[in-house]
Amino acid sequence: MSILEIQDLQLRFGDNQVLNGLNMTVPEHAVFGFVGRNGAGKTTTMRIVLGLLKAQGGTVTVCGERVRYGAAKTNRHIGFLPDVPEFYGYMRPLEYLKLCGEIAGLPPQSIRRKSEELLELVGLDAANRRISGFSRGMKQRLGIAQALLNEPRLLICDEPTSALDPIGRKQVLDILSAIRGQTTVVFSTHILSDVERICDRIAVLEQGRLVLSGTLAEIQKQHRRNSFSIRFAEDHEARKFSQLEELNKPGIELSLQDQVLTIVIEGEAAAGRLLIDLLSREKIAPEKFEAIEPTLESLFAEVVQ
Amino acid sequence: MNHYIVFVKKELLEYARTYKLLVMTVVFVIFGITNPLIAKLTPELISSFVPEGMTITIPEPSALDAWAQFFKNSQQVGLIVLVLVFSGVLSSEVAKGTLINLLTKGLSRQAVILAKYSAMALVWSWSVVISALLTWVYTVYLFPVDPLSNLVFSIFCLWLFGGFLLAVLLLGATLVRSNYGSLLVTGAGVLILTVLNVIPQAGKYNPTALVTKSMDLVAGTIGLPPLYASLGITAAATLALIGLAVLVFSKKQL
Repeated sequence: MSILEIQDLQLRFGDNQVLNGLNMTVPEHAVFGFVGRNGAGKTTTMRIVLGLLKAQGGTVTVCGERVRYGAAKTNRHIGFLPDVPEFYGYMRPLEYLKLCGEIAGLPPQSIRRKSEELLELVGLDAANRRISGFSRGMKQRLGIAQALLNEPRLLICDEPTSALDPIGRKQVLDILSAIRGQTTVVFSTHILSDVERICDRIAVLEQGRLVLSGTLAEIQKQHRRNSFSIRFAEDHEARKFSQLEELNKPGIELSLQDQVLTIVIEGEAAAGRLLIDLLSREKIAPEKFEAIEPTLESLFAEVVQ
Repeated sequence: MNHYIVFVKKELLEYARTYKLLVMTVVFVIFGITNPLIAKLTPELISSFVPEGMTITIPEPSALDAWAQFFKNSQQVGLIVLVLVFSGVLSSEVAKGTLINLLTKGLSRQAVILAKYSAMALVWSWSVVISALLTWVYTVYLFPVDPLSNLVFSIFCLWLFGGFLLAVLLLGATLVRSNYGSLLVTGAGVLILTVLNVIPQAGKYNPTALVTKSMDLVAGTIGLPPLYASLGITAAATLALIGLAVLVFSKKQL
């Protein structure tokens, strides 16, 4: 079952068409990376899902219930971490979680138990002081704790790692990885290495629509362009191989640099085998033979152009 | 209802920890203690400055002078401090985004406005009561017992006017985004009411009557009935303003 379903979402601010027929489906238990440039509409989409902003068209469904602007009953299924979470600086973490729990209508005993559990999960169990003295990373982690308090089925994080130092980032990503399986995580980001590290599905938002979506493996497979790189032991082997008749015909791109030959073969399913056959026919043992995987970065650059 | 109580508790904790409660208490305690003292000492101070050989007759200070100080201080500096202390009570939360987080957890917007008003009104009530009690204790101690009339009623009028100002402030905060917005709206409101007093017949309906007639009441030169119209209008306006603030805030894009 899908936890979050967005269909044909439309939003316009004046002349600026922010969302233009956005369709997106998040299956249960996914860690879903929502990628896009700054200003692509990621935060806007999340605010619509939370019922904080009114869309001009389209529907959003959370756990099978439609989201309505203003009276967002669906929010009981959702935990939300804003990009820069702000808390009452005069409270201590436990006090803040208690307030959140009381608003969510949880029974007092389970608030206490759950708060302590969560503070331990995010590594703030020893930080029993006022939030005003917290670093950004600590606030971000407290933000995750408050978002998970009501055991949501869907956790939405808006750029949870953008403003953090490397250690803070690692801590936040580790926490998000740790809750995988208990809850579905949707997080927006423009840091692609974060996506590669913890997401199993991604969607790329560009000009108000998804231009790329699916599991990471699927996407890489779809966009693999039969590219290979072969490193030869000797210069003359490289030259000889690159001048082979079979490789010098239309549809095949070659580029030789030092002893490394890069070959792009269009539309040939068995391209790899062809190259190996040629190598063996010419009795050349290369130092290295590699099928080039597209990096997420190159894919991203390709689809947002 | 549950959200309302939770949020009132949160507001009171906030006032206690961010020194709002402390500022209000200190200011009104100082008023309470100094009101009778100033009334007592003023004649002696004046006579010590008068050159020798000159005699001026200064009437013996009385309890009435002490209460005159009470109303003057509470109505001028007191109300200004009240409005200043609470000017950012809603706008700072909206601007910082602390409220969004709780609203996404299902906190009702109506509860936010009602709880904020109640908590502010509670602090205001506490300030008026503590100041009045201290003034009363010292006045009884320093002055012979004077016949005072309508004292409690007059203090009630002052309290109601403060409550009215807080409602204006809160509505201002829902209408304008910045901290100064609510101050500006409140200032403009008081100005308009003051100007309205120019119309001869408007005076007795005007909320400002609640604070301009205090000493007439206490001295017994007027009775309660002339203030009934103003009292009713102020109470109704306060409720209407709070209702309007709830409406505006519910529709607001945050």
